[in-house]
Amino acid sequence: MNAAQFPRIESLRFEGVSFKHENHDPTLQNCDFEFPTGRVVWFKSPEGAGKSTLLQIMAGLLLPDRGAFYMNDKNVIDMSFEEFLPYRLQIGFTFDYGGLINNRSIEDNLLLPLLYHKIVPEGDAHARVRSLVERFEIKKFANERPAHVPGRVRKLAVLLRGLVTHPQVLLLDDPSVGLGEGTQNAFVDVLNEMRAQGHLKHIFISSYDERFMSLMSHDIVHLDGGLLYHQPGEEAAPRAVGQ
Amino acid sequence: MGVLLGRIDDLGRFVTSNIEYTMRVLLMVYLSLRATILDQAQGLRTIVSVLAAQVYFTGWQALPLITTLALTTGSVLVLQGLSNLTMVGGSDMIGSFLVIALSRETGPLLTALVVIARSGTAVASEVGNMRANREIEALESMGINPLSFIVFPRVFGGVISVLCLAFYFNVIALLGGFFVTRFLHDIPFNFYADSLLQAFTMDDVLIFLLKNSFSGMIIFIVCCYQGLSVKKSPHEVPQVTTQAVVNSIIYVTVFNLTVTAVFYMNQLRNMGVI
Repeated sequence: MNAAQFPRIESLRFEGVSFKHENHDPTLQNCDFEFPTGRVVWFKSPEGAGKSTLLQIMAGLLLPDRGAFYMNDKNVIDMSFEEFLPYRLQIGFTFDYGGLINNRSIEDNLLLPLLYHKIVPEGDAHARVRSLVERFEIKKFANERPAHVPGRVRKLAVLLRGLVTHPQVLLLDDPSVGLGEGTQNAFVDVLNEMRAQGHLKHIFISSYDERFMSLMSHDIVHLDGGLLYHQPGEEAAPRAVGQ
Repeated sequence: MGVLLGRIDDLGRFVTSNIEYTMRVLLMVYLSLRATILDQAQGLRTIVSVLAAQVYFTGWQALPLITTLALTTGSVLVLQGLSNLTMVGGSDMIGSFLVIALSRETGPLLTALVVIARSGTAVASEVGNMRANREIEALESMGINPLSFIVFPRVFGGVISVLCLAFYFNVIALLGGFFVTRFLHDIPFNFYADSLLQAFTMDDVLIFLLKNSFSGMIIFIVCCYQGLSVKKSPHEVPQVTTQAVVNSIIYVTVFNLTVTAVFYMNQLRNMGVI
């Protein structure tokens, strides 16, 4: 699948979306919402309100009980796995825990989406992964399986796999948990560089980490009582690259 | 009266839940086949590598156990068959007896039980752990359909393995069983082999293919289904694995019984008995 086959994602919109986990309060209740695009958006809510669930719905990993999710005015809820695939390949999703394929090395985990869908030629895929691995100084773990590497490396590998395909939409679920400040800063630098190159147009982050979020200019979207509320613009504190 | 109606309600619930489960399992067969056909990204290399691993684990690594089981079962049936048939003057029927008892009935059932115990459990717990560790979700997030990437190669590899193991079981049981018990009887091998060859018909080939291929499919689709039914927590994995074993055994035995019953009803119909 080459880049020309991918739709350009311009808008993301919920229409009457409801979702409820069994034996829990509803996460979303008849929610109409136009997601802010072209920027970094921080999802905030009280603990357990369903930010991760919201990201999973946006990634197409969970289907809402009711309502429609429009990407470019196309309701992706009604699409089959194959119909949604071009959209899905433009969405990078990172997990708050788990999510690495355990019988593959860290490097193979990062290569998997690139090689499976032949997004770039094999040589370019290896070069892309190698540059990320070297930049974050995890080369010595590259050929190890997830069970044999420190938790920080596992978390980092999940984050890097989400952006290795250069998607338009990036959904980060608690990205800073388990990472040191230096790694967090380096990761934000990569996000900013990729945004400058025209990738990762729309970034949505679920996090409790004020320090991590202060590294980027962002809008805030509150998830409260099953509804979403947009609070525009907060500027990031100035910081030198690599600091 | 109220108690009776309650019992009828329970029975109804039991029947409908089992029908629903069967339908879900059958739907997964279709969906995994559909996903594999539609998945343009998954190359033959990916399928073949998982399939080869499955055949190696399910087929090749099970050979010592199948050999032991085939030799003991074959020996027992050869001895029992020869001693009892000789007493009633029907030792030339030994071929028919062994073909029916071993190839048609015991072989497919024992092979299936070995595969359930060794590989079905492994597949159910592997897939269950993948679910708990969010690997299945990760595959979906990368645009990789778990039904074509995980389920189909395991089911297809399982079918090939069960067919090969069942064939191997028959050969070892029929030949090995004869040679192991050689010192306990004085039947010439030529007589034995001739009796076996005369007993084999196209029906036996058909029953062999039908029972073993469907048993393989049932085992691995049920085990994958149970593995995928894990919601979030690793503590569910042993529970679904146990359930996978129980359900596989029930489905395989019922299927074998159904095939046998249909075949013999058909045979009776051809003979004009019914």
